[in-house]
Amino acid sequence: MQMKVMSGNEAVATAVKLARVGVISLYPITPQTTIIEKLSEMRARGEIDAEIVRVESEHSAMAAAYGAAISGVRAFTATASQGLLYMHEMVWWVSGSRVPLVMVVATRAVGAPWNIWNEHTDFISERESGWIMGFAMNPQEALDMTLQAFRISEDERVFLPVMVGMDGFILSHTKTPVKVPSQDNVDAFLPPRNQPYIIDPENPIGMGNMFQPIEYMKLRESINSAIINSEQVIKEIEREYENVNLEGDYSILNPTYKVEDSEYVIVLMGAWSGDAMEAIDSLRARGKRVGMLRIRYLRPWSEREINEALRGRKGVLVLERATSFGRKSGPLYLEVKSSLDLNKTGSVSSVIAGLGGVSVSKRDIELILEKFIYDVETGKEVENYWYYPEKVKPIEPRIPRSIE
Amino acid sequence: MLNYQYYPITHPDKGAGGKTGNWRLVKPVVDLSRCIGCKACFLFCPESTIIIRQDGKVDVDYEYCKGCGICANQCPVKAINMVQEVN
Repeated sequence: MQMKVMSGNEAVATAVKLARVGVISLYPITPQTTIIEKLSEMRARGEIDAEIVRVESEHSAMAAAYGAAISGVRAFTATASQGLLYMHEMVWWVSGSRVPLVMVVATRAVGAPWNIWNEHTDFISERESGWIMGFAMNPQEALDMTLQAFRISEDERVFLPVMVGMDGFILSHTKTPVKVPSQDNVDAFLPPRNQPYIIDPENPIGMGNMFQPIEYMKLRESINSAIINSEQVIKEIEREYENVNLEGDYSILNPTYKVEDSEYVIVLMGAWSGDAMEAIDSLRARGKRVGMLRIRYLRPWSEREINEALRGRKGVLVLERATSFGRKSGPLYLEVKSSLDLNKTGSVSSVIAGLGGVSVSKRDIELILEKFIYDVETGKEVENYWYYPEKVKPIEPRIPRSIE
Repeated sequence: MLNYQYYPITHPDKGAGGKTGNWRLVKPVVDLSRCIGCKACFLFCPESTIIIRQDGKVDVDYEYCKGCGICANQCPVKAINMVQEVN
């Protein structure tokens, strides 16, 4: 294992290299572009021998990855935002076809109007498409989860595509130290590719046919069962992954932080979990018993783990960077609340923040939590609201001292 | 295989979709005296109902031929005639 300073995008490109991917389909979109740039550079330097296909749209990027995957090689693509929405049709086609492949989504706001910054709505809006969906918290996890994704996708109990999300810019472009596993360890972890069927002229099959309604419905139920059963599969694979990255914490799907004795728990997903952990430390220093539940897997949705972490708390606050227009909350809140036994849980509240790249700091999370705890303890009715950080003070323009 | 797993593929087989020959209004009849065995009809038939004989000339599988007439249209020596079906 080797420690390197790299961005989330470089970490993902490294994972793709280590997974010995056979075909990569490329279509650039910020903030994902440097993943495919890194892969192209690796290819130019001869570090990988993957076939790189430059396509004319994201719809084709997914179609090309799909075609490659059914021919029997590992396939990878990456996208974000408008690109993900443009490939939406193919996203469903791949899961419906039960084809294992891996895609990384560097999340970004969805237009109109144009906005290239971070928001989870693009990723979350794919949650009904039949993919396994994980979300990383830092570049290390982006690397680890991309490697695990190939294994999960190709497990016979799953045989579904896997989408790995990470926050655009906040993870995709921020460099942190990342432990890069050795090729030998990854080879031992990732067996040769396994998939339900391949294109083989000697043994022809019909694909993409019309299906009778009842058969179609059976297939949908099968996808549903596979996602539910994948919870167990992911746990097994994550445990095995500890041979690759000894220091990784992959004992459960959705990690918790200081949740055991908490009265209040904040539920969130992605990079700002790190800020939330710091906010929790500083709140605990002031005597507030707060913990965190981080949703790492949106699909499968581990109702058991979520219940275990949230049962009996005085308050649960769901903080999210995504919208569900028309509801007074975000999509994660709807998911969390539907999993809870509301007779055994206190107040549940949703706060939407940080959309389209609005910067949310540790201090903001502290404020949100303080207000929530105050509302619950004073018996006020908790509200679901959209949080705007206080305005940044304008900076007075001045000439840098060095050239004064 | 796991009992809940289901994959949307089919295994092609002769007549897997049922017999299609009864759709036909006109049927192709091969004039073997004119057939030169070029197999253009075999290549163009959308239903794979052209049978290649031992001598390289062709027959038609009437169980599945829908009578579309593509073979007659493609035949370079006009050896296939479309004949009205008699019921």
